Amino acid sequence: MPDRSTLPAPLLHARDIALRHDAQPFSQTIRPGEIVGLAGLDGHGQERFLEVVAGLKKPAQGTICLAGPDAEIRIGDFRKAVANGIAYLPRDRRATGIFPTQSVLDNFAISTVGRDSRFGLISAASRLQRYQTYRDRLSISAPRPDAAITTLSGGNQQKVLLARALALEPRLLLLNDPTRGVDVATRHVLYDVFRGLAAEGMALVVLSSEIEEILLLCHRVLVFRDHALTAEMTGAAINTDSVISAMFGRAA
Amino acid sequence: MSSRLGGLFRNTGFAIILLIVLLAVNLVLNAARFHPAAWGALIGLAAPLIGAAVASAPVILAGRGGIDISVGPLMGFVNAMVIQVLFLKLGMSSPFLLVPAALLIGGAVGAVNGFLATVVRIQPIVATLGTYLVLTGVTLTILPAPIGPAPGWLKAMAGTWSALPLIALFAAWWIVRRLPYYDQLMAIGSDDRAAYTAGIDVTKVRFIAYVMTGVFAAVAGLMLTALIGSADPNIGQAYTLIAIAAVALGGVSLAGGRGGLAGAAIGAIDIFLLQSVLTSFNVSTYVLQIAYGAILVAAVILTAVQERSARPEEI
Amino acid sequence: MANIQRLLSSTNGRVLVAFVIAGLLHLIGTLAIPGYSSPFAIRAMLVIASLLAVASIGQTLVVILGGIDLSIPFIIGFANVVAAQLYGNEWNFAVVCVFVLVLAMLIGAFNGYIARRLDIHPLIVTLGTGMIVQGSVLLWTKGFPSGSAPAEVSAFVSIGGSAGPFPFPWVVPSLVVLSALIILLLARTPYGRRLYALGSNPGAAPLALIDPVKMWMLTFSLSALFAAVTGILLLGFTGSAYGDVGQPYLFQTIAAVVVGGAALVGGRGSYLGTLAGVLVLTEINTLLIGLGFQPAAVQASLGVIIVLLVSIYGRERHVSATI
Repeated sequence: MPDRSTLPAPLLHARDIALRHDAQPFSQTIRPGEIVGLAGLDGHGQERFLEVVAGLKKPAQGTICLAGPDAEIRIGDFRKAVANGIAYLPRDRRATGIFPTQSVLDNFAISTVGRDSRFGLISAASRLQRYQTYRDRLSISAPRPDAAITTLSGGNQQKVLLARALALEPRLLLLNDPTRGVDVATRHVLYDVFRGLAAEGMALVVLSSEIEEILLLCHRVLVFRDHALTAEMTGAAINTDSVISAMFGRAA
Repeated sequence: MSSRLGGLFRNTGFAIILLIVLLAVNLVLNAARFHPAAWGALIGLAAPLIGAAVASAPVILAGRGGIDISVGPLMGFVNAMVIQVLFLKLGMSSPFLLVPAALLIGGAVGAVNGFLATVVRIQPIVATLGTYLVLTGVTLTILPAPIGPAPGWLKAMAGTWSALPLIALFAAWWIVRRLPYYDQLMAIGSDDRAAYTAGIDVTKVRFIAYVMTGVFAAVAGLMLTALIGSADPNIGQAYTLIAIAAVALGGVSLAGGRGGLAGAAIGAIDIFLLQSVLTSFNVSTYVLQIAYGAILVAAVILTAVQERSARPEEI
Repeated sequence: MANIQRLLSSTNGRVLVAFVIAGLLHLIGTLAIPGYSSPFAIRAMLVIASLLAVASIGQTLVVILGGIDLSIPFIIGFANVVAAQLYGNEWNFAVVCVFVLVLAMLIGAFNGYIARRLDIHPLIVTLGTGMIVQGSVLLWTKGFPSGSAPAEVSAFVSIGGSAGPFPFPWVVPSLVVLSALIILLLARTPYGRRLYALGSNPGAAPLALIDPVKMWMLTFSLSALFAAVTGILLLGFTGSAYGDVGQPYLFQTIAAVVVGGAALVGGRGSYLGTLAGVLVLTEINTLLIGLGFQPAAVQASLGVIIVLLVSIYGRERHVSATI
């Protein structure tokens, strides 16, 4: 991490967020270029926090605000979040990710389908061109862009979904367990992509159920327990023992 | 037991309240028609609709788009077969021959529907649309015009005695509810993937539901025959949609796995009582139709809203 | 055999097979029945098929969305009777059409809103509103609708009519243009792509910025719009208003969509397939009547044939294949 004094201005403020009525409120800021990990035992609030930032769920109290060109923008719902530069990659690929009857190209373009419109009709050339940019960047291995998404491996499906999110050109990318059910080789491709995006100034928040992933990837880790933020670690302080201890509520 | 009644009320709350209100209104408006002495005749009038609704329920409970739109035509087909073919042509008049024959016809048609929907795996609405068309066509071919009469014992079932087949229907369902099969049916209705993973033979359970619907529809067909005392090729089809409306009114989820035959029956009685109220105002059948539609839409909306408010807040 | 199975498992393959079946049926008819391919018979088939094709537009869209619309026959009857009645009351026919179409779209939007917003099965909602609509129309006309269509509408759909130098009425070329527009709408517009996506996986749609309630309202109102158009065309075709004129279209639209290769679970199907389904149904009907079948037997055979066709290529996956 760069020196504190040279840090870029914060991108997102989470102020006095309580994930439940009985949970301790907390505040957080996220800056461009950092990768923030969310950890915790399953169901301890880290997923809820991610969904609150995405505008998918309402917190019991507190606000999420994004830095805007003039004033701060308060995030109240998912559409507003996306419109202001947040993209969200869901956890369950089959239930909330892919459109199984549709092609790779359709699955990629659906969130940004209006961008290829010329006089109301989708320009196939524009769509394909946009897809190819991300195909190369994420090294998606799909024999044909018009093949059904279900003909791809899990890892490649995930890459297509990531491409769908990146096509929104977000400032903040929220990843909900992005390598779940993805093979090891593809994982490392994804890690490189994430690091590259951060280096370009995108902020990433990664929820992961695997500690190694957090150790490999994140500049900063937020550990949740009982729907509260119980520990925050930066840089060298992040190690397996400290994260696991915090997850189980023990002092490191 | 109280929890079961509670469950029935949760699913069919609106239908039960409607039942009480309509019954009260009927008692005031149609004192003569609803005099206890006339209840037998009333049951006879309502029986075919109750039977049709109850018959429609098992396949709907089985989930994944399960529906049998051939229930109405099957009732008409049973009506035509029993009177025209078995009674008038073949001279069978004994209830011990006609009733098993009718049930067999119903079970066989149900088995065809079940085979198409579960083994061949045609979408249920399309498969039963096929049988709907075939049954309607065959009924008209064997019975081009209404004919009568029905055997004496069957005609005698029109009044108070029509309670007998209804009781038989519910007794059969009561037994089914005590079998492991019932749990399997509800399990595949709410989540067939989970049920399959848990080792339930989804195809078999759904197939049996179709056969059950067929047999129940045959009973409804017999009750219809008793009521009209003759055979009429054009009377069956009308029951399909109204029966599905009754099922939905009675709180059976069209997505499967929720509700029961008691709810379906209550929904059917609601429609019957509504019909009775409106006829006592001497309104046209057009108003009757508007009222059916309005009650149906209002009932499903109220049920949905009630479920929403009952759902606990997550936070 | 493996090739045939692959063909049947792809949507395009199913459409192709449906067209081939329609062609074969026509060939059988031509060989078996004298005059089956006579100009008049072909014209009649084209007009009848065009009317069914218009009525099936809405069912196609709704089925791709994962719904079903049982209100189509009632909306057809509604448009048929109301248009005749108002025209008979000396309204301007253009005003009549706008009035009827807008009213129909509002009914459709209501269907879509209630079904999606409250998560009620569209079968029930559309059945309920259909009954209300039909009852209201019957009540208004006391069961005896009067009035007729302007001569232009009758000429537009008349079997004996001609489109300029061509020996068929304007409804046929109009349908070709309309079909091209619908196919373009589905394949090349944001609405079309969202429609398939929403039908394919409703759970993923909101995360892909698709508003399900808006989509359902729009789609059901389009369905009602084309049903109403069919009702007005039928008024020209039969010459007088009749409240039950739409009833045959209840099952025929569903059958056309399914024979055309769409799955009722959503996300699959195409209007080209529906057109193939429409041709198959029209050919079967004409063929059976030509062979001297009684209407009852025609209906029964239609049932058998629908089930046979769908069992060849419209099978669903086993539950084990969906896990």
